[in-house]
Amino acid sequence: MKAILSVNGLAKRFGGLRAVSDVSFEMQEGEIFGVIGPNGAGKTTLFNVIAGYYRPTAGKVAFQGRDITGLSSDEIARLGIARTFQAVYNYSQHTVAENLRRSEVIARRHGPVAYFKNRNLAAVADSQQVANFVGLSSMMGNTAGSLAYGQQKVLGIGMAMMVSPKLMLMDEPAAGLNSSEKKVIGQLIRRLQDERGIGILIVEHDMPLVMGLCDRILVINQGTPIALGTPAEIKADARVIDAYLGEDYEFA
Amino acid sequence: MLSQIIVNGLLAGLVYTIMALGFTLVFGIMRVVNFAHGEFYMAGAMAVLLFYGHLGWPFFAAVAAGGVVSALIGLVVERALLRPLLKEEMPGMIMTLAVAITMQSAALLIVGPSEQGIPRPFGGTWMLLDARVPWDRTVVALCALVIITAFYGFLKFTPVGLAMQAVAQDRETASLMGIESKRIYVVAFGLSCLLAGLAGALMAPIYPIGPYMGEIVIIKAFVIVILGGLGSVPGAMLGGLLIGLCESAVATMFNPTAALIASFGIVLGIIIFRPTGLMGRAVR
Amino acid sequence: MKTRYVVAAVALLAVVPWILDNRYFFHIATMATIMIPMATSMNLMLKIGQLPLSHGAFMGLGSYGAALLTMRLGVPPVLSLLAGGLIAAAIAGMFGPIFLRIKGTYFVLLTFAFGEIVNLIMQDWISLTGGNSGLYGIPKFAILGFRLTAIRDYYAMGLVFTALSFGLLWAIERSDIGAIFQSINENEMVTRSLGGNAMAWRVAAFVLSSFIAGIAGGVYAFYIGLLTPDAFGMRTIVDLIVMNTIGGPASIVGPMLGAILIVPLPELLREARQYQLLIYGISLGVFLIFFRQGLVGLLRLDKPGDKT
Repeated sequence: MKAILSVNGLAKRFGGLRAVSDVSFEMQEGEIFGVIGPNGAGKTTLFNVIAGYYRPTAGKVAFQGRDITGLSSDEIARLGIARTFQAVYNYSQHTVAENLRRSEVIARRHGPVAYFKNRNLAAVADSQQVANFVGLSSMMGNTAGSLAYGQQKVLGIGMAMMVSPKLMLMDEPAAGLNSSEKKVIGQLIRRLQDERGIGILIVEHDMPLVMGLCDRILVINQGTPIALGTPAEIKADARVIDAYLGEDYEFA
Repeated sequence: MLSQIIVNGLLAGLVYTIMALGFTLVFGIMRVVNFAHGEFYMAGAMAVLLFYGHLGWPFFAAVAAGGVVSALIGLVVERALLRPLLKEEMPGMIMTLAVAITMQSAALLIVGPSEQGIPRPFGGTWMLLDARVPWDRTVVALCALVIITAFYGFLKFTPVGLAMQAVAQDRETASLMGIESKRIYVVAFGLSCLLAGLAGALMAPIYPIGPYMGEIVIIKAFVIVILGGLGSVPGAMLGGLLIGLCESAVATMFNPTAALIASFGIVLGIIIFRPTGLMGRAVR
Repeated sequence: MKTRYVVAAVALLAVVPWILDNRYFFHIATMATIMIPMATSMNLMLKIGQLPLSHGAFMGLGSYGAALLTMRLGVPPVLSLLAGGLIAAAIAGMFGPIFLRIKGTYFVLLTFAFGEIVNLIMQDWISLTGGNSGLYGIPKFAILGFRLTAIRDYYAMGLVFTALSFGLLWAIERSDIGAIFQSINENEMVTRSLGGNAMAWRVAAFVLSSFIAGIAGGVYAFYIGLLTPDAFGMRTIVDLIVMNTIGGPASIVGPMLGAILIVPLPELLREARQYQLLIYGISLGVFLIFFRQGLVGLLRLDKPGDKT
């Protein structure tokens, strides 16, 4: 199986602070890959480097064998990598349907040239289909900003789906959700993998979610990787348990 | 010749620095371009015209009055006109433009369109190497140094100053620490207008005073702020001096317009190659 | 109120000068046909949250460009009019990526500085532009052998230009390009995360709006017959901002209404010219605080993006 994402010796420094150093891993196609670590471990920085918001100080990132190091966030999106946000981010004044429609239009007609070149191309995704998939079909006419927090996060996933990605980067998808909303998100992510074959990289704090969902997990502490393996392996890893000592985590 | 260029450049540079300080304050903290900055400069000069030129006050008292007048107008403007608009950038900027044209036309109506001069409070020159240094410009330069030092001390050593730096760096974190942005904005804007007013007041005897004298100020201030780096006082000083020297050299060798174009070219170069300026921090 | 009715009303208004057949009205109307495209093209940039203070300078580049090409190189007026617009567009395309690189406020200052410097060059390069004394003797416009001499000819020319540019900008506003611009303005991070090339769209908008400004400048040059740098400075920019703010920036109907309101004002206020700027400043302030959506909001016109 070909690696969909390979990260090699990635490092990011801010002035004197080494936020991330020497991170290497390979993510397989269709895999759900988790990145966890104690607070301040550098997960978010790593995420933002991969997603194109920061340029790495060292190392390389490759997507489907192609080097994407240093590309901007929109260039990365156009290659087929979508992302969701930790906070709620959408076109809040417009309806759910319009949010989904726009996402597809922006993805297909992404620039002035593409606007005209791609105008007759078939839509890369269908709003109604995606809405059905994520479970928002009854809310199509509602304003995005009026939706419950959990539903807005689901909308975020729906919008990301509209670009027909092969890889999704999710930044703390469970943040701010209650337990039933977390279940919904978890099931949605599982279905993205099963029914759509999309690879998903998740940065998360919520242990039960990560352990239950991910095929493999990378653990980062103070910017460097300390373990990589299946949930079972990670749970038993002494270094991981060590790193989390003093934090309130349940590995169950 | 060379030393004259350098002396001219340094003297001008110090005044530019005060112009830029106020501008970078508002720009860096409130993220607002204050288009009326030049008009607050003009207000300071107008105050000196009134108090020193017509009412015969001592020069330095008039200068202080100039600063105070500008600061007071600034506080009123901030409270009444800017505060309701601060959440979005563009309406705030357009409002400062509205203030600028209102102040300019008010000055036009009160003073008339032509430029006026006032008697020079300090005459004569002294020699530094082979450069002739006018006394009035020397006084301005010394006052500028005092003001810059006082301002730097304020930023680094007083609680308000430190709070201002915090808000400039990261508004959200600052509010988590209990610093109320609104209060800081008032101080920042008032201080900025004070500095602009003092700069205009100090320069009143040197350049002609008229309603349009403020127009060039923003451009100079902007160039210096970009060069020196947003939010950096040492940067503003370095930028001010560099621009002063560069303009002095180009203006002497070619003409003042070429000097301005050269400044603009520098700005473009900085934006392309080093957007944070010589000494600034990265802008989020 | 349906926007269509307002546009139709304005179209009807356009016929009035011919009915009245008064030179004074024709002049004001012709100036309106120059300022409406200026104000509406500036609105294109406002839609993506950018304030282009260079707009007057690009009008000037188009003006002097068209005039000089005709006068010094004998280029036929139609071609030099087009060339003026293309010169403006090319320069916008050159500087656009640099100006638009960092956050919006930098763009404002950079275009401001750019505008001032272009103005200074226009004043100082006397051998080319005639400086402050003016560039005189611009030939009359001619198209397909027909020379435009009467003022009503220029009004017609202006009307064609206004109709074409308004039509184009209107179509853009109502299309998915308008939706993309809105998306960039409302939440750029999300738009870029979906693949939207915000930078490319910004530069494209800058180039198009500067092109229209350049053409407006060319029309102005042939109509007035004489050019001075102060027509392209901050006064014009302030006028354009007032038009957009009072008219309402959400849709190009706003600046169109604003232009129709503002253009006759200097003539009406002829006695109290010094008060004109004061009135502008105060109106600007009042509208910004109390009537943010401008006339468009007051008349409750439906705006673009009110789709679903």
